[in-house]
Amino acid sequence: MKISIIGFGAVGQGVAKAISSTQQRIKKKYNLKIDIVAAADSKGAAIREDGLDPQKLIEVKSEKGSVAYYPDHGHENIDGLQVLDEVEYDCLVEVTPTNIITGEPGKSLITKAMKDGKDVVTSNKGHLSLFYKELIDLARENNVNFKFEASVGGAMPIINFAQETLPSSRIESIIGILNGTTNFILSRMTAEGSSYEQTLKEAQELGIAETDPTQDVEGLDAACKSVILANAILGRECTLDDVEVTGITRITPEAIELAKEDGYHIKLIAEISHDILRVGPRLVKETSPYAVDGTLNMATLRTDLAGEITVIGKGAGSLETASAILTDIINIWKSRQS
Amino acid sequence: MSLVLELQDVPGQLVAALEPIASVGANIVTIIHERDAKTGAFVPVQVTIEGDEKTLDLAIKKLTEKGIRIIEKDGIPLKEKVNAILVGKISEEELKGIVDNINTLEGVKVADLSLKMSTTTSTIKITMEAEHKSLKLLEDEIHKIGAKEGLLVITET
Repeated sequence: MKISIIGFGAVGQGVAKAISSTQQRIKKKYNLKIDIVAAADSKGAAIREDGLDPQKLIEVKSEKGSVAYYPDHGHENIDGLQVLDEVEYDCLVEVTPTNIITGEPGKSLITKAMKDGKDVVTSNKGHLSLFYKELIDLARENNVNFKFEASVGGAMPIINFAQETLPSSRIESIIGILNGTTNFILSRMTAEGSSYEQTLKEAQELGIAETDPTQDVEGLDAACKSVILANAILGRECTLDDVEVTGITRITPEAIELAKEDGYHIKLIAEISHDILRVGPRLVKETSPYAVDGTLNMATLRTDLAGEITVIGKGAGSLETASAILTDIINIWKSRQS
Repeated sequence: MSLVLELQDVPGQLVAALEPIASVGANIVTIIHERDAKTGAFVPVQVTIEGDEKTLDLAIKKLTEKGIRIIEKDGIPLKEKVNAILVGKISEEELKGIVDNINTLEGVKVADLSLKMSTTTSTIKITMEAEHKSLKLLEDEIHKIGAKEGLLVITET
């Protein structure tokens, strides 16, 4: 299977690394050989029909700052859309940064790939939370696979889990912690009694929170993921505008202390049901499944037949997110074989 | 003793609720499935049980441990404790107004207040007792108060 990776940041490099370390096992188990025929970042691309060396791609990126300097096959100043025209591939792995204003460049890349009859795997939340229906319809019209397990909860299985493992049940609601950065901050504030500002700074120094943490701490990242789950699992037609969002920036150490007195933790909780779509800080019992600490994500699915099912997993990290992307690629391969 | 249990409207829930009662040796006299009174995904089920006081207490304990909600005991609605935390700038007078407002809701009473002040904000924990039927109303009211007063509201999941 020939894949083009557009976006070669942490997740793109994680995909290359995961392919490199699992290629023998995947070949043996699924008779699938994954070739990266193109990899692109904001400065250019590396393109090779016979496949690029994943390790070399990571090396070049870290040493020279762009895959455009890949020996013999690098191209400067070529954008993602041009790359998709240049190369023969089967599946686009779209891992460009999330843009919650326009969904670009991811949306245009995905649209082009689908119209060209290519399968698409993405970890990007922007276009999905703004144009979910449009993209799903486009995939259907063009008879291509469109998978996005990595867009919610990194390695925590939830979309494929609900769609493929639980098709017999109607999912009534999903309640969970969908953002690892805020969960880390709130866990540390709970453990240490520290202030929000102080803990955010610590999270930034550890590389857990970004320099501009707005999307995480204001609840927007969790809101995007809630929209994706509402559409993909509950069949709702909604966008980011429909989510009631409150972030964690106003939470005081005193609030955490008062909650603790009665055996509660404060967590940023996403609630998704057929009539509710909201993200905000909530009190959760310290003995409940919601009391997961650190950067973990979790979600409880309430179903009509199977009762409640809770999944927990690492919500971020390049290799963890790459694992979800690889799972989608393997599932596409399997579906194409039958 | 007559209990009203709130069960999920899913096959197997009634058997799961009766098992802890039977397991402690209480005698089940009647079961009335109140389908007409269904609220959302839940159905109230009235169960009358017999046994000595210790056995009946144990049956209630087992039901609660299994996460089965008892909404009424011998015709009296059971109140649940609900906590909410409010964060923001708030005066003593405004706080009194909030408490009065909550106390006017049917089946709801403020049971306890904790207040912590810092230089810029106040953090208030309000513990309330509410009848089961008033829980949704209470949640909505607290969020309404928060929006009106510009406070961050943190309620239970």
